[in-house]
Amino acid sequence: MTVLTDEHRALIGVESEPRTSALPVSEELLRRFVHGVMEPDPVHWDHEVAAASKYGELVAPPLFPMNSMRRAPGGPDPMDRLKDDPEDDGRLGGNPNGLPPLDLPFKRLLNAGTEAEFFQLAKIGDVITVRAKYLDISERQSRDGSPMVIVRVQTTYTNQHGDVLAKTTSSLIHR
Amino acid sequence: MTKAAPLVFEDLSVGDEIPELVRGPLLEPHLMRWSATIENWHRIHYDQRFTVEHDKLPALLVNGSWKQHFMVQVVRQWAEPEGWLRSIGFQFRAMDTVGSTLTAWGRIAELAEEGGYGNVKLEIGIRNQEGQQSTPGTATVVLPLRGGPAVPYPFPAS
Repeated sequence: MTVLTDEHRALIGVESEPRTSALPVSEELLRRFVHGVMEPDPVHWDHEVAAASKYGELVAPPLFPMNSMRRAPGGPDPMDRLKDDPEDDGRLGGNPNGLPPLDLPFKRLLNAGTEAEFFQLAKIGDVITVRAKYLDISERQSRDGSPMVIVRVQTTYTNQHGDVLAKTTSSLIHR
Repeated sequence: MTKAAPLVFEDLSVGDEIPELVRGPLLEPHLMRWSATIENWHRIHYDQRFTVEHDKLPALLVNGSWKQHFMVQVVRQWAEPEGWLRSIGFQFRAMDTVGSTLTAWGRIAELAEEGGYGNVKLEIGIRNQEGQQSTPGTATVVLPLRGGPAVPYPFPAS
């Protein structure tokens, strides 16, 4: 069985529109983040340590930009979706990378892994913009013989000056 | 972070292990805190009924989005401040379930001088309290050579 069509393959190389975080990186957002992620390095919360470091000021952990796109205040509540489908898986139909969706006949989506390159860390006050791109879309057989589609999405994270903070490539398996 | 002595490329050997990081047992409050931190409401990290009955998973899962930061932390707590974590990559090969105690580890796999700096390639991973590995990967750290210039920050794109 072949799942991928020419229309799917035509998406390889397609980029999303740039999307910019609703609010700048704040010390409060960073405070909550280092607690949740159980971060050991005080350069992410201690002003004196940060000032004496090569960073010179508080900075966010390297992969922070991957979690920087937050829902803006106001606007429709994505949890309204639960009125129609109380068994929604909690992803609330979100399309986290902003790319045109792949219409695939699968229910499961697995995050198979990440590759990342780092250039600089986000700072307090930074406004992060992300842009995603379909690097590759390919089909393989899983162990039980059923088809699966592997999608590689590259995301570039920039600050308000256009400096690239990081690039990540995520591998997603639809099956 | 304070360390006994600055890291210098020439002092390293292939096979050296970097200090491990241990977190856990990771219980429901840890998973809930992380989901709320990143505002990701995927139920398989906090809704036991949905996870087991609807998604047929064995138990709540430790977020891959948390584990990837954990892998970065174990490398940077060793590499900083002299070194720069230039790249990292890993595969989510196995599920880590609620209640796990996870250890992030790293071992030097290759050492090479390039452009006046030292490149350290590490094998990295996460294992649980049973010794099962879930997240194999690699990382590259750039370090100064003995008597050489500091690694530039921001790190230039190649």
